[in-house]
Parts: sequence; structure tokens; C-alpha cells
Amino acid sequence: MREPITKRGLTRRDALVGLGAIAAGLSGKARIAAAASVVPITIVINQSPWFDSFRKTVELYEKETGNKVELDVNPFAGSLEKQRNSVRAGRGQYDLLIMNGGWFAEMYFGGFIEPINDIDPSFKLDPDVYTLGDTVYFDAARKIMVPTGKLMSVPISPLIPLLYYRGDLYKEAGLKAPETFAELEANAQRFHKPPGRYGIVQRGARGPASVSYDFYPYLFGFGGSIFKNQAASDYSVMLNNEAGLTALQYYLRIAKEAGHPQTASLEQAEVIQNMATGKAAHIMAVVSAWSQMDDPDKSAVVDKVEFAPAPHAPGFSTASGLGHWLGGIAKNIPDDRKRGALEFLRWFQTKDAQLANARFGGIPINAASYRDPMSQERKFRWMKPLADSLQHAVSVYQFPESSEVIAILELGLNQAVARNVEAAPSLNDMAAQIYGVMTKYGYQTAKLPPLR
Amino acid sequence: MDGSVSASGQVAPRPNTRTPAPGLGADASHGAPDDPVWRWATLSPALLMMLLLSVLPLANLFLTSFYSVSWAGGRAVWMPAGFANYVALAHDDLLRAGIVNTLIFAIFAVGGQMLLGFMLALLCVRVNRARTLYRTIFILPILIPGIVVGAIWKLLLNFDFGFVNQIIGLVGFDPVNWLGAKETALASVILVDIWHWTPFCFLLFLAGLESLPLDIYEATKIDGATIWQELIYVTVPMMIPTIVVTFAFRLILAFKVFDEVYLLTGGGPGTSTEVLSFTLYQRFFREDKTGYGAAMSMSIIFLVCILLIFALSARRRAGTAP
Repeated sequence: MREPITKRGLTRRDALVGLGAIAAGLSGKARIAAAASVVPITIVINQSPWFDSFRKTVELYEKETGNKVELDVNPFAGSLEKQRNSVRAGRGQYDLLIMNGGWFAEMYFGGFIEPINDIDPSFKLDPDVYTLGDTVYFDAARKIMVPTGKLMSVPISPLIPLLYYRGDLYKEAGLKAPETFAELEANAQRFHKPPGRYGIVQRGARGPASVSYDFYPYLFGFGGSIFKNQAASDYSVMLNNEAGLTALQYYLRIAKEAGHPQTASLEQAEVIQNMATGKAAHIMAVVSAWSQMDDPDKSAVVDKVEFAPAPHAPGFSTASGLGHWLGGIAKNIPDDRKRGALEFLRWFQTKDAQLANARFGGIPINAASYRDPMSQERKFRWMKPLADSLQHAVSVYQFPESSEVIAILELGLNQAVARNVEAAPSLNDMAAQIYGVMTKYGYQTAKLPPLR
Repeated sequence: MDGSVSASGQVAPRPNTRTPAPGLGADASHGAPDDPVWRWATLSPALLMMLLLSVLPLANLFLTSFYSVSWAGGRAVWMPAGFANYVALAHDDLLRAGIVNTLIFAIFAVGGQMLLGFMLALLCVRVNRARTLYRTIFILPILIPGIVVGAIWKLLLNFDFGFVNQIIGLVGFDPVNWLGAKETALASVILVDIWHWTPFCFLLFLAGLESLPLDIYEATKIDGATIWQELIYVTVPMMIPTIVVTFAFRLILAFKVFDEVYLLTGGGPGTSTEVLSFTLYQRFFREDKTGYGAAMSMSIIFLVCILLIFALSARRRAGTAP
């Protein structure tokens, strides 16, 4: 039987345990205080490498607050279809829409998302939350995404590609992580020992956002772009300039000289699979696949994979294309459900929730998480390169017809990777089609003379 | 066939042994009042149902095809587009590739299924032992949902880890990129479709073969016909109605192929496995081009209707019209 604690009997250890318990209780209470009791909500989301961590984070929210959340999980394209159907109905089925970087503009421009401060004027985005190319804001009058616009969403996952490379091979060879494309090419060729191991495995398949997403770090890292300046509403097509040509020629060259023989048919899952099975020395893949690399059930390269920002050409910075996810609240739902969705976002953006998210395998949206001692743990070695990269990440599309442009890039790049078309005519053709789309929808646009 | 073939080859009319359906007595068939109001009153529920379920959606699709639809302020904005959506179809490279590939797919996949199904049915028609077992095994592929078929074959044909390439590797050949090379992708999808739907043809052909009159075969034996002659001059001619019906069914379904292409190749590499349904999905759903997608849908429906008319007329010519 435990004896009652007397003043004299209270040891320093007891005091520390007690203080710890109080601190833990306060921390939990602080998080609970961040979210009021609200009606159940439904979140529509896609099944992707980071979904499991999101599900666990939602479960933590339910446990801490007592609020109920239902998840409607879909394939990538299916999630967009369900969101469109819901927001275009008289009354929406989904409260919180998890929108991808490729389609959130469609939701903003279409008037389907309720500005957050229209639900709760006192809501403030945590200053440490990444605004991801200011894509959380929208100025409806000027039709651009700038901080002076209204707050439309809260980031859910700040996804960009990172360079995954085999640290064990680099160590043996006495190499450091590649910073430039030239270094990446040299190292990929050095480790290219097919068919047992490929120097680099790239995505080349045509999909909803497949080969184009893989190509963006190369395009932007060589100083290229698709449009001149979207923030200034200048949609002049720049894809087929010299930087674009250099980027595509490089992409095709390393695929041919140090890549997988069937790059044109590889999807994201296969690229990640090649790395996890030890068949790739490098991949440029979405950061959310990190947890698979150290999972002994899924990986043959546990603790051997290191992470670095996407390489770049001399004179330019690393520049991955944002493939991020934003949480926006549907306009066509009752007010109590809007408040319910907002309470979840209020809780989700906190540092504590984001640390828990990272522990579950997710990617934090709060910069404070990347400064936390947790980021120094070996398991979270991807955090620093991600934090370094995020500040240079590029918001690729800021207009609602982006799906048409993505479809053009997917087909054109896939054909180039499959070597059906050379780089220059491929870029010319894609640029001409994109120019046609932008002209059709009345954007301020122009085109460059064709590359030769 | 309403009759039997005599030794001289003439068809003797079969006596009408049909009896009126229960409840449809003489009063029902002849004594109903020839009153237009009564006729429309009894027909109208069925007509209304048909209108609601088929004609209205089609009419809506047809009307939509003359508009361009965008969204602003949470509402749809309909802009009249005249025939622009139909004109644009002529300049759509993806659609052109879809039409060509769908034709290739339909010809080779349906041809292969018909040939294999017929051969299997010929082999099995005389087998009496373990009939239930072999039929169950043969029809298994058509019971598998398309999404599972896609998963099975995507794994089997995977370049790096697929079972097929592992087998090929064992006998010393280089792995083949079945689904990722433009030379083999469409052929691979066709082979998967043949695997999936041959049992359907087999079942129809088996039923047809089992219904053929045995006395004709006895007569051919007496006449000293070889197996080949029996097949060419007796079996195939008598099976023409079944062959035509099976072909029509499969051809129309082949034009609607989607799930296998979506799961196995996503239309790629390039446009080498782009088929009509996939193009429609791409334009209508992924790119959200409602008016243009509606115009494409109407054109595909028109194309399938033409096929249907051909198939029905072939059925009539073959004497199988209902």
C-alpha cells in the first residue's frame, strides 16, 4: 500500500514527475482549448502515401476534442470528381475539401470555397504555417493569389519532391549530396549498374499529374517556367524557351544514359518501389514517401536512403513544383458544419498537432515543427532538406483551367520520354497547345517563336 | 429456328404449339376497347418511365453539347457555342487516336475471343465428364470484376517484378515492357481482354452447339464427311445466327472498353492505348469540359448506334431477328 506523501517525503524526482504531468495536462488542455465542441463533419480526401498519417492525426483530433470526423477516401482523380459534384450541388455533401495544388484554383475561382474569416472573423493563420506560394489566399476581384486577398484555406500537406539518394553508396564512394544537375548526372551514371540497379528512376507515365510533376524541379531548376508571371496575370507561354529545352534534354538524357529502361511507363508507385527495393540509386519523389524507406516491411534499404533538395543549375536555386494539399471549407453547407470544419483546421495548424502528424508519418505544415528537436532525430532526416526546399517551391498553376494544361504536358512529356518526339518539337507543340487554351479562356497571353 | 431440315434440305414448318400466356385470354387479345384514350392511358406509365430514364438524359446531353459551361460564384454559366464543340472534335488528336485504337482493339480482341471461344466450345461440346467443373473454370474470368482483372495483369506484366518477365528470364530472354512500350502496349491490353471475355463467347457458342440437331451429324457421317467437312459445311453454317449475335454483343462492348485500359496503361505510352471511352473520360471529367464532352458523347453514341443497326440488320439477314 502506498503511503501518503508528506512534505518531507516529497522527493525531487516526485516533484519532476508531478511537474511533467501538469505540463502534459496543460499541453493537452491547450490543444483541446484550441478546438470547441462542434457538429460532426465529413472530409473528402484522396488515398496517397501520406493518407495514413492524416487518418491517425484525425483520430487524435477526435480523441482530444470529442468531435467526430468522417473521412471519404478516394483515388486521386476520384476525389476531384466527388468534390466537383458536391460543391456544384444545392447542398454539399462534404464539409472540408482536401484540394490538390492542381485543382484548388478551380474551387476558388468557381466560388465554391467559403473564405475562412467569413465563417469566423477572429480566425488567424498561425504565423508559422507555410502559405505555399500564397495559395491559401485569393483576391477574387483581381483573380490572383496574394496575401492581400482573403484567407481561403489552411495547408494540409506541403508536398514537394525531394531527391532521395542512397547514402550508403555515397559514403562508400566518398561523395556528398548533389547540389547541381551536373553532379546528379555524374553520380547517377556512376551508380548505374543495370539491371540490378539504375542510376536514377524517373516518372514518365501519363496520368492525372504524373510525368509533369516529376519534370517541374528540372524545368524550374534550370530557370524555366510554363508562364511568364502568373501573379501579375501574365500568362505568356515560356515553356519552349532555351531553359525549357535544356531542362527537357537533360531529363531525357539522364533517363536514357542512367535511367530505368522503361521510364515512359513508370508511375509514382513504381518509382518509389524501385528505390525501396534497392533498384534505384536516386529518385526525385514526393517527400511523403519517406516513411516507406525506413519501414522494414516495405523496404530493402532501411536507413540507407538520404534526402536532399532537388538539384539546380548553377545560378539558380532549388525549385520544386508544389504538389501540396489545401483544406478548404465548402460554401454550400450549413453554418454549423462550416464551424465544425473550421475547428478542425484550427486544431490541425498547431505545432503540437503537426508534431503528432509527423510522428504518424505525415509532413508538417507548421515551420515550428521543423525547428523542434524532433527534427534532429535520424528518422526525420528529411525535415531539414524539406524546410530548405519549401521556401523556393513554385506554385505551378493559379488558374481554374489548369487541368487542361496538365493534360497537355502529361501527353507531350510522356511522348518525349517514350522517344516518339524530340525535345524541341515536343516543347513547341505543348507550348502551342497551352497558348491555345489560354487564348480560348481569354487570359493575357503570348507565345515565343518555335525552338529549332 | 422455326422448323426442321428434311433429308432433301427443305425446311418443314413447325406446328405452332405456343399457348397464350396466362391471363391473356381471348378477351384480353381481341376484346380490348379500341379506344385511343384507353390505349394511351395504359401505355403512358411505361412511356413516361422510358422518357425519364433514357430519352431525357440523352436530350439533356444533346442540348449541353451546344453550350460551353463554366463556373463562377458557385453557379454554372452557360454560353451558347453553336456547333463549335462538334467542329472541335475534328481537330482533337486524342480523339483521332482513340477512334483508331478502338477500331484496332475491337477487331483484334473480338476476333480473338470469337475464334478461341468457338474452338473451346467445339472441344468441349462432346465432353460429358466433369462438365460442371470445366464450365466453372472457363467462365471464371468473366466473373472477375474489371478492376481485379486490371490488378492481376498489371502485376503479371510488370517490367521489373512481373511473373511473365520472370518466366521469360528463366529461359534466357530479356524482359519485355508489355504495358509501357508503344509496340506492345495495345497488344497486351487486347490479350488481357481476350483472356477476360473469351469465356463469354465460349458459353454462347457452347449453348449454340448443344442445340444443333444430332440427326444432321448422323447423316453427314453416313455420307462419309470428314471432321473438317462437317465443321465447314454443317456446323459453321448452322451456327451463323449464334456467331452473329455473339459478334454483335462483343463488338458493342469492345467499343465501350475502359477499365482495362484505365488500369493497365492509362492510355499510354503516348496515345498508343488511347481508346474512345478513355478520351471521353479525359475530356469530360478530368478536364471538366462539359459542353465538349457532351458533344463527344453524342458522337460516340451515334457511332455505337450505327454499329447496332449493322448488327441488327446482320441478325435479320442471318434469320435471327426476334
